[in-house]
Amino acid sequence: MTEQVGYFGTDIPIKIYGLSEKSVTIKFGTAIDHDLLCLITDFNQLLLQSPFSGLITTVPAYTTLTVFFDPLSVMLSDLPGQVCFEKVSAHLNKIAQIKREKSSTIADKLIIPVCYGGDFGQDLSTVARTNKLSETEVIDIHTAGQYIVFMIGFVPGFAYMGGMDTRLSTPRKEVPDAKIPAGSVGIAGNQTGIYPMETPGGWQIIGRTPLKMFDVNRLQPSLLKGGDTVTFKAIGIKEFNAYAEI
Amino acid sequence: MSMKISIIKPGLLSTIQDTGRYRYLSQAVPVSGAMDELAHRLANKAVGNDDDNATIEFTYADASFKAETPVLISYSGDGACLVYNNELMPAEKPLFFPTGSVIKLIHNAIGMRTYLAIAGGWDVPDIMESKSTYLTAAFGGFKGRALQKADVLVGGSLLSEVSNGILNHLIEKSLTYPNWRISRESLLPENRQAIRVVLANEINWFDATSIISFLTNSFTIDRRSNRMGYHLLGKSLVRKVKKELLSTAVTPGIIQVTGSGDLVILMADCQTTGGYPRIAHVAAVDLPLCAQLKPGDTIHFSEISRDEAEALYLEREHDLSLITMAIGLKYIKT
Repeated sequence: MTEQVGYFGTDIPIKIYGLSEKSVTIKFGTAIDHDLLCLITDFNQLLLQSPFSGLITTVPAYTTLTVFFDPLSVMLSDLPGQVCFEKVSAHLNKIAQIKREKSSTIADKLIIPVCYGGDFGQDLSTVARTNKLSETEVIDIHTAGQYIVFMIGFVPGFAYMGGMDTRLSTPRKEVPDAKIPAGSVGIAGNQTGIYPMETPGGWQIIGRTPLKMFDVNRLQPSLLKGGDTVTFKAIGIKEFNAYAEI
Repeated sequence: MSMKISIIKPGLLSTIQDTGRYRYLSQAVPVSGAMDELAHRLANKAVGNDDDNATIEFTYADASFKAETPVLISYSGDGACLVYNNELMPAEKPLFFPTGSVIKLIHNAIGMRTYLAIAGGWDVPDIMESKSTYLTAAFGGFKGRALQKADVLVGGSLLSEVSNGILNHLIEKSLTYPNWRISRESLLPENRQAIRVVLANEINWFDATSIISFLTNSFTIDRRSNRMGYHLLGKSLVRKVKKELLSTAVTPGIIQVTGSGDLVILMADCQTTGGYPRIAHVAAVDLPLCAQLKPGDTIHFSEISRDEAEALYLEREHDLSLITMAIGLKYIKT
């Protein structure tokens, strides 16, 4: 099912498999890892800069990059191969052969204000108790960390962020909440994330941001994208309300 | 002047859909769009529209609407039949109705979803380059929601040359339609319970007996089925490889296997990423068949190769382009 397409300026082998008639997935590795994320982000950027005829969009995830295309345009292209899988693979193989320069990704650094605890973070005490910390210590550790967005998934604009201090690791809830309000900041295992809209969810909620994480009226509706770096800043309720009024 | 209808009875779930929202997948915005893309496209073709014009997706029947102006519409799908003055209206054919006509959707036992196209396409704003409704996040389509009683829907004011040609032949004081129609049946296999699949990347995570069981047993569509996905009832599959799959992109048609070994077919509104191992994906040409499945319906899977699935897809697209050409030839003066 998988076929090796080569190397990407490193000694990491990458593999490619068909996902549907209109998509293929490139697999770069097997574990969540920051270097792998940079590799995927760079590859994605290179591909988007030199697309093949028929490329529609790409979806980065923890260890994969999935490439969506229009089969009719791909078949009409002069890429080598008899079928779409071969033609698209040929192009991806070409990208993989490009010598990788020093990582020059378009990743952004963002500071996200969060009002911790109280009604906005009803599970702050659970996270503190689970890790034998005070609530203030949880907030201090959470705001001291630098987080990396591994991917956007689950619902529009939901960023899965890694790099959390393991002292805050807390398992998901056994029974998910029926409604988690938009902006809620949660912890699940060793990851942290922000709910962009009201949905059911099982993460431990420690606070809420007044920022709109997803807004269809913005040019880029999702505030965060794969590869971005995030830090959190603790704010009080007054500041939260001031943001919310903007 | 734009064509217009008002909703008298909205039915169970009626939303505006087009061929989907593909360019925002990396921001976890689902594809959405018509569940039965084939019926959606045929309804559009029958009134001279582009395939990606917006249609109304009706779920089952029990709906009705009124022509507030003269309208040129068509419908396709298996959830309902259109009825006017107690007369059954033909599907996949342009239908001209004068102002004031009341058109009802009555139950069609075959399937679940029916698409209503209007010349010019339903005019709603583009959200992220698509008119499709995504109810979970309340955006797209008609005000981000399902249609309600008294909603007024307007057709696009810019008609294609073909739409204008059809309209000029049909415009009358009463119901009219031409003698031609698109043959949807000729595009669909005779046995609609046999769903062709291509085995997926994690196929070797399942034991041999489970793979054979997947390809030989029948599965029943469970009640827990909607635009996001269909849960299937049947023999659970056993995993040989127990490791976790790190979340990765998924797409409509993919068949995931849950922790308890049950099958879920992902459909139009599915999440953009998933962490369940995948046993197969439904061939793109058979996904419209899945869109018409109702809870209680029984299906079985048969394996084809990736290349066969692609060949079927390209053949289907070729057939569809011939239909567009044939309709164009009737109405465009050369």
